[in-house]
Amino acid sequence: MSPDPNRKLSQRELLFLIVLLCLSAGPHVLHLQPWISAFFIGTVTLRLLALSRPALLPGRFLLFLLTVAGLANALAHYPLMFGREAGVALLTSMLALKLLEMKRERDIYVVVYLSLFALITQFLYRQEMLLVVYVLFVVTALTAMLMHANMVRSPSRPTGLLLRSGGLLLQALPLMLIMFFLFPRFSSPLWDLGIRENRALTGISDNISPGSVSRLSRSRAVAFRVDFEQDGIPQPARRYWRGPVLWDTDGRSWTAGDPIPEKISEFFASGKPVDYNVTLEPTGGKWLFALDLPHQVPPKTSLEADFQLIRRSPQKHRFQYRASSYLNYNTGPLSEYQRFRGLQQPDNITPRMISLVAQWRRDSVDDSDLVDRALAYFNEQPFYYTLYPAPLGDNPADQFLFDSRQGFCEHYATSFTLLMRIAGIPARVVAGYQGGEVNPIGGHLVVRQSDAHAWSEVWLPDLGWVRIDPTAAVAPERIEQPLDPDRISEEIGAPIDFMPVDIGFVGALMEQFRWSIDALDASWHRWVLGYSKKRQSRLMRLLGLDFLKGSRLVYAMVGITAVAVTLLTLTLIYRGRPKPDPVQAHYQRFCNRLKRMGLQRRSYEGPRDFGQRILHRRPDLRGQVESILRLYIGIRYGRMDNPANRRRLKQMVSGFRP
Amino acid sequence: MLQDRRDTTIKSALDQTISRAGEVILGKEQAIRLSLACLLARGHLLIEDLPGVGKTTLAHLLARLLGLKHQRIQFTSDLLPADIIGASIYDRAEGVFHFHPGPVFSQLVLADEINRATPKAQSALLEAMEEHQVTTEGETHHLPEPFFVIATQNPAHQIGTFPLPESQLDRFLMRIELGYPDPRSERQLLNGRERREILENLEPALSLDQLRELQTSLDQVHVSDAILDYCQAILEFSRTTQRFNHGLSPRAGLALLRGARAWALMEGRFQVLPEDVQAVLPATVGHRLHSTADTGVDEGRSLARYLLESVAIP
Repeated sequence: MSPDPNRKLSQRELLFLIVLLCLSAGPHVLHLQPWISAFFIGTVTLRLLALSRPALLPGRFLLFLLTVAGLANALAHYPLMFGREAGVALLTSMLALKLLEMKRERDIYVVVYLSLFALITQFLYRQEMLLVVYVLFVVTALTAMLMHANMVRSPSRPTGLLLRSGGLLLQALPLMLIMFFLFPRFSSPLWDLGIRENRALTGISDNISPGSVSRLSRSRAVAFRVDFEQDGIPQPARRYWRGPVLWDTDGRSWTAGDPIPEKISEFFASGKPVDYNVTLEPTGGKWLFALDLPHQVPPKTSLEADFQLIRRSPQKHRFQYRASSYLNYNTGPLSEYQRFRGLQQPDNITPRMISLVAQWRRDSVDDSDLVDRALAYFNEQPFYYTLYPAPLGDNPADQFLFDSRQGFCEHYATSFTLLMRIAGIPARVVAGYQGGEVNPIGGHLVVRQSDAHAWSEVWLPDLGWVRIDPTAAVAPERIEQPLDPDRISEEIGAPIDFMPVDIGFVGALMEQFRWSIDALDASWHRWVLGYSKKRQSRLMRLLGLDFLKGSRLVYAMVGITAVAVTLLTLTLIYRGRPKPDPVQAHYQRFCNRLKRMGLQRRSYEGPRDFGQRILHRRPDLRGQVESILRLYIGIRYGRMDNPANRRRLKQMVSGFRP
Repeated sequence: MLQDRRDTTIKSALDQTISRAGEVILGKEQAIRLSLACLLARGHLLIEDLPGVGKTTLAHLLARLLGLKHQRIQFTSDLLPADIIGASIYDRAEGVFHFHPGPVFSQLVLADEINRATPKAQSALLEAMEEHQVTTEGETHHLPEPFFVIATQNPAHQIGTFPLPESQLDRFLMRIELGYPDPRSERQLLNGRERREILENLEPALSLDQLRELQTSLDQVHVSDAILDYCQAILEFSRTTQRFNHGLSPRAGLALLRGARAWALMEGRFQVLPEDVQAVLPATVGHRLHSTADTGVDEGRSLARYLLESVAIP
């Protein structure tokens, strides 16, 4: 086989090309319009069938019609032909058509290059690590195909080619790293094709009704990850990740309502603040989550009077922020407006609620005593903590408190808050996450949707706003341990079992594996996807290269590339020079040893002449010199060149020490 | 082992030949060896030296030792081509022309003082040397096998000579010089019998079959890549150096390699060493090299020496 561009492709080559193209463009089928995906799949199927029955291949005219059909198909769904979807749709359709007309060797190049392009477009949709691994594999295979097309000699085995192309790509790794870390970055994307990183998972919202948090808690999806600086990770009981604060209720659901039009009040804090970095998955909401009580906010974020962190725009991408919180605090006096908001009541308060609170009020000396009594009520009465509570009617708080008594945290938090307001204590509901698991491999805290939580805050004189978690009164384990939705029975009213189960060796292994993947994913986002212009400039400063900024960095890159290419070329030339064969190397060693004693071989002196000169000067070396030279002459000028003799020559020269 | 035995028989036969020759031509062993190598390599030999140093004797000696039928042509300025290759003579009895072969139709032709003849006569011989056949009046006559030409010539600057052009010099595989004998040999020569007498009583040392066998075994002498590299390096250097008027021709390269093979064979070896190449180098390239600074003096020897010492053995 020779690299002749007009050579007809073999069946095997065709099959490989089809597979490669499917690997490159195929994943688009999952998110394109069904009709466009159908066109792609149909065309590829036709091509595959034509492998065994070439008569199925469309002729020129039919191919033209098919092309028009593909174009029309794409245009019908994306009439303006603008944006990511349209481009990918057109590319996918046309790639499938290319398969129908590939016949000759030159088509290999076209298909491989188009496949590489199609492969890149995969990143327009997702950028996770697994996709990168996949893309690298397909690139290796495509490179192997290119190598195959350029082979002059008989075709190699596919595995051998794959290994060699993998080796080639590995050699490009340093270059890739340099380009990644040092290539000038832009603070905003160079082009905006409407890339949406991860689709936002619905997380905590600012509207809580019975069942909304428990629904969320059935998901193991990661909400955010936290890296704590220096101080270590706080105890589970202190890990309350504050999200939206809910002030208003209509008796069924709780909402944030209007923002508090106040500046944040000074609060008194004791102890050292805790600093941490949060990598938040996309939520679609505006809140950021922070430990109670945040005092430093990331940029483009405001800290509201009720200590919510609100970003200016909804958060659609995974992103990282740094925050700092005081775990011990006192928010101090309450404004009139907040007191008013914190005491609002819906119109479906029932008499038995009022009488229950009146009972507590009569028994208590002050507000904080009343709060304790309320918590004791939750603790002592037969309340159940369950992820699948019985459905409640149109007055959920009343029914929950007095009839069903089965509920998840939102039931406890909302009804408790309502009771406090009836008692005249300003109260509000806080939604967020509680707890989280420490990844033993990454060392970071993983907070999942199953950690979603709701709790209550009441304002007490002297203490300010105090966090009260009625759930803790019912199920203290919830605070200490993460909830595993997989282990909860889906029966209505089934109590949550927090007892750790023996997962066995395989289970432990799986657990380890799960944590490793999580740690990898976290690092991937921190170091690769999160590598921003800011981080780059920090790295440059660290490397002492911060004088290279903007255009200077570009010039430096060009310069370095030029130098590197020159050096590489020189190395290749140097390595391509004729190498002395090992026999000559041994002979040279022999000559060098004689040179040290003043017997230098003249460049034009043959081995026999040289030998005679040696023996003339050093007759004592006769035996050794004669046998070495005889062997050397036999190998170099006679027919004695074989590995055994080469080895013998090497040994003899090594043993020759005049 | 077989090869070893064959090596020794060849070597002893040749050594015997050389030692016999050494009895006749005293102190000229190197020249004898070279001329023998030249004949083994089926090449023609040019002996160049002053008159009276034994050129003709050497030619006679070789003819006798090898038991070859030989003819001598004395080249003079009035020599005609027909005097060399023969002529067709009309036979009146039969009424047809008959070709009468000239002296060139013998196994060994001794062309004495070749540069005394006119170029026309010279070229008649040289064509025969190249083609191993003679064409006259539309008829082609093959020359006998083996066919050697040993030509002698006086140094070019002597009066009354027509120097051989380069193209014709190239047809001689080797050119050797004899030089004056050393004092000891000269003494022996002056003291001894008449050379011609010794020659006439000399028995052939090699039979014709032996000679043919030797010539065929020449092809079995192994030439390794390393030797080819060396020869190519020599040719390359001769073509690039500033010192030579022009480089060596591919034919010179072939001559060098053939000569080296013959030399190795004479040493009883079936592999060519760089030393073999070097041994025949002055004789094979000396007459083909010309210095850029043409002094009129033939410096073949020193040029060959320069070439040899300039090219490293790869």
